[in-house]
Order: sequence, then structure tokens, then C-alpha cells
Amino acid sequence: MTNSVEPVLQVSEYLKLANQVLKLNIDGYAFAIEGEISDYKIKDGKWIMFSLKDENDPSAKVGCFATTFKVSGVFEDGMKVRVWGPPAINKWSGFQIEVRKMEAVGDGALKKAYELLKKKLEVEGLFDISRKRMLPRFPERIGLITSRDAAAYGDFARILNNRWGGVEVLFSHVHVQGREAVPEILAAFRRFNEMSETERPEVLVLTRGGGSLEDLHAFNDEQVVRAVFGSKIPVICGVGHERDESLCDFVADVRASTPSNAAERVVPNRQEVIYEIETMTRHIETRLTDAVDDKQFLIERATNLIFTAADRQKEKLSHLTRNLLDRVNNWLPRFSDRLGASLRVLANLDPKRVLARGYSIVTARGKIVKDAAALEVGVEIGVQLAQGSLGAEVLRVNGKGKIKLI
Amino acid sequence: MTKKTSINFSKAFEELEAITEWFEKGEADLDEGLAKFERGLELAKVCKGKLSEVENKIKELKKKFEE
Repeated sequence: MTNSVEPVLQVSEYLKLANQVLKLNIDGYAFAIEGEISDYKIKDGKWIMFSLKDENDPSAKVGCFATTFKVSGVFEDGMKVRVWGPPAINKWSGFQIEVRKMEAVGDGALKKAYELLKKKLEVEGLFDISRKRMLPRFPERIGLITSRDAAAYGDFARILNNRWGGVEVLFSHVHVQGREAVPEILAAFRRFNEMSETERPEVLVLTRGGGSLEDLHAFNDEQVVRAVFGSKIPVICGVGHERDESLCDFVADVRASTPSNAAERVVPNRQEVIYEIETMTRHIETRLTDAVDDKQFLIERATNLIFTAADRQKEKLSHLTRNLLDRVNNWLPRFSDRLGASLRVLANLDPKRVLARGYSIVTARGKIVKDAAALEVGVEIGVQLAQGSLGAEVLRVNGKGKIKLI
Repeated sequence: MTKKTSINFSKAFEELEAITEWFEKGEADLDEGLAKFERGLELAKVCKGKLSEVENKIKELKKKFEE
């Protein structure tokens, strides 16, 4: 006993040693610890504390500590879970598991976890209809996130080819279930979203076939749901069979029921579009023909109007002419009657005829002499007879103002 | 590869829709209508040509090494 030197450790040193031993001997990631949650608490929205109880021996309990950064999802007392993480002895709370990962186990617990998370995300507004984005009608580049080994991949590609062509599909192969599924899907979303605008797909398709709630866990994972929510590129999600639902379905911009349906939702049907184009061209053609017809009708009507007007003018004119002719015809004979009468009168008045009857016309200085007083003796006068004329000299002038017949 | 040279399908389709709508509104000026009609036929041809492409190219993204 004497002089045997036993090392003495302070409490904190002892704890340090114990922690080192624990760390060296228990690999916190090599296995999961399964149990039932009790006394579940979240402090300050950051620190998660609970006890893990053995299902068969409720007195076997271990404390657990986690942060909301590491552990996502919603849990509550009574849920069966598996946790991963190293053990540690903490100054304040003693021995505990520092949980890095936690998953609900068994259909009951999974269902419960699913419902709780769904409720939480719904309240947060992740499923709001108002934030759903429109997909491009004719996408040229599609990002596909699924497993190349799944039937979903084949279904999607087949339906895509049946419906539409000329699309570039950027395919990101991921595990759709199991341990790697969540990180790989998250990486795929990051990758597509980090692409430059010119190489980025216009729409993302996240799809897989049907499966149990456990198989679908990646599509119900909070981080994946948030990745879909946060994607700059609109997302179509098609998981499982018709009646399967996943949280990704709710958060996606468009929810497809199956992988084939996802292809149907992402591209239009070639036949339908051809029909639509034909309908449009036919419509345009009809419209144009109608317009031409309309114009033609207008022109015809205008021409008709002009012709009618011209006809009416013409008719008026011919009516006038006829009228005029009638008048002229009426008037002409009367006129010629009157003309004949006048001519006759005129003929009687002709001086030559008077001369013929034996009268003569006397002129002096170029003027007809009607009054002898206008003449003087010795003036030269001219005498016009019916036949010929003669010159004479006045020998005598008899009386004034009296015409003396010889 | 043909993508660069040929007109974008959705642009062509949208323009065709716009032309159809223009005709729908009626009161069409004949000269303008004729020009639009020709453009419409051209667009329809482009669209149909694009529709005859049957193949979709699937390009698998190489895995990037992650952190």
C-alpha cells in the first residue's frame, strides 16, 4: 500500500477519459438504436431532448440530445424510432446519445411522422396553391431526377417519346430509396438550380414508382420537400401508383399520379398540337376569305349603286330628249306655217314687186326721196324702175309736203 | 443541334395564336390580313416541321464528386 502511486483524476478529467473510451469503442454510425420516444421536448426551437425507451423493458432508458439542424421531421412521444449518433457523457445531463440522425420505424410510426410533418409544412404554407408555378407549355429542356434502374425511368422516357419530340432530357441518376436517396436527390436539385440560365432545364421531373411508406421515405423527407419548395425551376412530382401520395407531391408545382403521368403532364401530345395548329390555320383562312368576301360584297354593292345611278341618269336623259323631240316636233310645223306666212308678207313688201307694178324709186345723194320739198331744182336724181334705172335733173319742184302723182 | 438555327417552337406557336386572335377580333384590314395570313401559314409550317422530330435526347449528367 505504501508508496504505491495511484493517479488521481479530477472529475472533469475523468469525464474526458470516459468520453475518449466511449468514442474509441462505440462507433455511433455503425448501428442504429431502436426505441420509443418519451419526454420529447424542443427548447428554443433548436435543442431536441428526449428519452429513448426499450419497447420490451420500459425501465431501460437512455437520454438523447439532438439539434434541429441535424434532425429534421416531426416526432412525438410514443413513436418508435431509430437513432444514430455517438454516445457521450455530458457534464450537465450525464450519459446520452448525441443523435445525428433519426427515423421513424414501422408503419404506425412512419404514418404518424408523415402526418405530423405534413401538418407542419402545411401550416408553414409550403403546399399553398398560390405559389404553384405554371410549367412551360412546350419545354425544350427537361431535368429528370430518378433512378436509371427503376421502371419509372423507362415509363417516363417511353411516354415522352410517344407524345413529343425534340426535347433534351438532362438526366440525373439518383437512388430513390435507401440511405443514399435523400443526399443524392438534394444534390440533384442543387445541381440543376446552380446551372446557368442557358443550360438550366425549364422544368424538373422528380419521379419513382410505387412502394411502401418506408420505400417512399425520401419523398417524404423534410429536406427533400424543402428542396422542391426552394427550387427556382418548377417541379413536377410523380410518385408511385395512382393513390400513393408523398409530401413531394403536395409541394411540387404540378402533381402527377405516376411516372407515365408525369411525362403526360410535362409535354403536350403531338397529335393534339397538330390538330390545334390545323384548326388555327383553317380559322385564319376562313377569316381571310370572309374578309375578302365582305370586301367583294361591298365593291359589288358600290358598283351596283353606281350603275343604278348611271342608269337612272341615262333614263332621265332619254326622257328629256324624248320630251324635247316631242316639243320640237310639235313646234316645228307651227313654226314653218308662221314662217311661210311671214315670207308671204315679206314677199308682198318686196320693193321690186312694187316697181313691177309701175312704181319707181327716186334717190338723191344716195337717199330715197319721199318728199319733193327735199329737192332743189337742178339736183341730179336717180330713178329706179322695175327694169333698169336712169339719171335725171330736177326741173321743177311742186308744192311742199304733197306728193304729186305724175 | 437544330435548335439554334430553327425558330423556337413555343415562340412560333404563340405568334400563331396571336395571329389567330387578331383575326378573331375581326375588322381585318385586307392588306394586313394577307400579310398575317402568310406569316401564319409559315409559322404553322415551322411548327409542324418541329413536330416531325420524333427523338428526344437523353443526356445523363455525370456525377459530380460531392463534398
